[in-house]
Amino acid sequence: MSAVFTLDNLTFSVPERVLLDGINFDLPAGQVTGLVGHNGSGKSTLIKILARQIQPTGGTVTFEGRNLDHWQTRAFARRLAYLPQHLPAAEGLLVEELVALGRYPWHGALGRAGQADRDAVAGALTACGLTDLRQRQVDTLSGGEAQRVWLGMMVAQDAACLLLDEPISALDIAHQVEVLTLVRKLSHDSARSVVVVLHDLNMAARFCDHIVALRRGQVAFSGTPGDMMTPEVLQCITGTDMQVLERTGGLPVAIPE
Amino acid sequence: MPGNAVFFPTFFAGVALSLWLLSAAPYLAAGWPAYPFDPEQMSFDHLLLIFGLVPRGVVALLAGALLGLSGALLQTVLRNPIADPSSLGISAGAQLALVSATVLAPGWLIWGTWPIAMAGAGGATLLVMAIGAARAFHPVTMVIAGMLVALLASSVAVALTLSQGEYLFSLVIWNGGSLVQTGWGPAGSLAAVLLIGALCAALLARPLGLMTLEASGAQALGLNVAVLRAMAVALAAVLAASVSAAVGLVAFIGVAAPAVARAIGARRSDQLLLYAPLAGALILFLCDGVVLTVTAGRLEMFPTGAATGLIGGPLLLWLLPRLRATVPPPARDILPRASHPRRLLVTLCVTLSIGMIGFVLLGRTPEGWVLLDRASAEMFLPQRLPRLAGAAAAGGLLALAGAMLQRLTANPLAAPEVLGVSGGAAIGYAAVLFTVASPAPLVLTLGAAVGGACALLLLAGVVLRREVRPERVLLAGIAVSALAAAILSVLMAAGTARSFALLAWLSGSATTLTTASAAALFTLLLGVLFVSWMILRWLVILPLRADTARGLGIPLPMAWGAIVVSAGLATGAATLFVGPVSFVGLMAPHLARRLGLARAQDHVAGSVLIGALLMLAADFGARMASFPYDLPLGLFASLLGTPWLLWLMIRRSR
Repeated sequence: MSAVFTLDNLTFSVPERVLLDGINFDLPAGQVTGLVGHNGSGKSTLIKILARQIQPTGGTVTFEGRNLDHWQTRAFARRLAYLPQHLPAAEGLLVEELVALGRYPWHGALGRAGQADRDAVAGALTACGLTDLRQRQVDTLSGGEAQRVWLGMMVAQDAACLLLDEPISALDIAHQVEVLTLVRKLSHDSARSVVVVLHDLNMAARFCDHIVALRRGQVAFSGTPGDMMTPEVLQCITGTDMQVLERTGGLPVAIPE
Repeated sequence: MPGNAVFFPTFFAGVALSLWLLSAAPYLAAGWPAYPFDPEQMSFDHLLLIFGLVPRGVVALLAGALLGLSGALLQTVLRNPIADPSSLGISAGAQLALVSATVLAPGWLIWGTWPIAMAGAGGATLLVMAIGAARAFHPVTMVIAGMLVALLASSVAVALTLSQGEYLFSLVIWNGGSLVQTGWGPAGSLAAVLLIGALCAALLARPLGLMTLEASGAQALGLNVAVLRAMAVALAAVLAASVSAAVGLVAFIGVAAPAVARAIGARRSDQLLLYAPLAGALILFLCDGVVLTVTAGRLEMFPTGAATGLIGGPLLLWLLPRLRATVPPPARDILPRASHPRRLLVTLCVTLSIGMIGFVLLGRTPEGWVLLDRASAEMFLPQRLPRLAGAAAAGGLLALAGAMLQRLTANPLAAPEVLGVSGGAAIGYAAVLFTVASPAPLVLTLGAAVGGACALLLLAGVVLRREVRPERVLLAGIAVSALAAAILSVLMAAGTARSFALLAWLSGSATTLTTASAAALFTLLLGVLFVSWMILRWLVILPLRADTARGLGIPLPMAWGAIVVSAGLATGAATLFVGPVSFVGLMAPHLARRLGLARAQDHVAGSVLIGALLMLAADFGARMASFPYDLPLGLFASLLGTPWLLWLMIRRSR
């Protein structure tokens, strides 16, 4: 299994605190990787570093075999799409216009939007179930719909790797399942690598192929969802005693003692 | 840094007190007067001390505290670190009321300035609140409405001032906030207001603490957010209006005091409400001490209120990296989106052309209105055409700069006027006016250009040192503007003929436009339009914040540089020829957006057309309203644009 990201002794610190403390691991390509951990564990910082939104204070990150610093801005955006945790207000934009912004890395500031761009936008609208909404204004949509529109923008970006920072934190359970199902489908249908920051361990276990858990800026666990679902591992990740309930026909579920 | 938090205030308090004592020294030759103070028994020196200098110091402390409290209340309730009494139109309303009373009904002044200033401030605040009320006093709506009302009020006030010539120069002094006292009356009134205000603020402190959460969070905790906002704003208005009535317009304390309070460690809103008045009192007392020492009895009426910006502007620049600016939350209301933007643009284009032709042809003679005939066309056309075309181009440039900056910062308050470029140009102009004996127009133009460029460089210097953040740029621009405004007020307070020339230029006039300069403005407009077309896709993506833009592969520093430089050039050039006018750069993009022009290309094009239209109509109005004399152009632009935008805002909220 090849690695899309390789992290080598990655460190990030602010004046009073070390947020990431010498992290080493590989993220598998073509799979959905869940990044979990308690509040302040550094998962959001880590995904921002992977997305080149912030600069690490030490260590190196390699993306597709090349050091993160050595990527050209637009070339990077063609390979990797990032969705921030808090979505900006898309003031006045229509759904199809926002999705079409994902083509920027391909046509740049001045290039013409060609047939390939139009096809990619149409494909993204279909893949995310936005065809009926395409003429709506984004700021009139519900939370779940808006989240799908932003996912659509990432799909149109046609990147091989998607980074999602807590994409379901503001959604109800039905929309959480809907969005994560879509994310999983996007990954498996076209072998995209996805890194998704999640809060809910059960959701992470249900939808991810691989889990990385952070605790106080260090890797507490890295492995498959099945391996994570043991009381010992869960205790180590969450810092609280967890009970694992077996379930017929699926992964066990974890609840606090 | 708790050590600094104690050391700096103590140090500055010591300095302020020493300065005050230094200026009191001449009156202390015979020692301190004995208590009880009996005017009959006292020497002249002691009279000056007890009924002049001592109440002056007390008024400085009280007024500073009142403004600090007012600013802290507004910043907490509006969640905006740059809100202050002047940004809500409170001070401008009071100013307009006083100017109008002086000009139109001098008899009313026998009851003193208090009721009139209160009425003016109250009227302005009520108007702002009426607009805000429909959207639960949403912060951004409030600040925009406040700026518009302030703009409208001060344009009318300046128009009145100019119509009366030098007669009203005492009002310019009043505008600057002179702290000279001749008794204990104002000090007593201010003390009473402060006492009551402090009590009310103490009662509001706890609910306001919840306001630091998002409004929805506060609502969940059982708070009636709308009522609380209204109460806090009303209290802040009363506090600021009492200062306006007692000493006039004191710049900058309202925004600087809470900033200082935060810098020395006030985090919670109750701490802010406590420290900000103390900081405000200290800053104003310090400023007054400096003014007393520097003027040393020579310029007795020199307004301290104008000098506060001299200290406050640099202070804000220094604080900037230390401030954690909270961006005002985005407006909740969904603006209209026209289904046929092209039709709207064509309509605007046609209106502009008709206006252009009509205004060129239509003229006024002592006998009445006339259309140009062939004979007089030869005579008037060379005068009128460059003037109208130049004014339209200048309006287009300002609007374009505003549209680009508002998209860049995703902040509806960004405008070239707010970024200090206009202010810098004005200072350059003033510097030439006051240093060169009888400057040629070209030298004045050059001065303004250099001033604008310096403001831009200062801005770039502050911004580029750190990671580029939109709200930083805005704050830096406001600091530069405040500094410029302070210097200008000081110069105007000198009260010479040059001051009057400066005042006239400040309100803007297109009379200096020649064919060459109009052509230059038009060329620049085309150039900047070309740049904006080249970076159109950036202008679409940048409002989605830096993280999205970076994620899509936009070279952010380059985008920033391109936009700031183009906007600066556009503003500087427009300012050179028509004065630092009007807030067209703030208003035109808003008007375009509220008409339904949502897509970046429509928004930019619509802004340019509306800016040109506004300035064109303003120039015609300025030329015709009091024929054969020209009225200020900027004044007319704000008189036309502000009510239009206010109406759109009110209409939308129905």
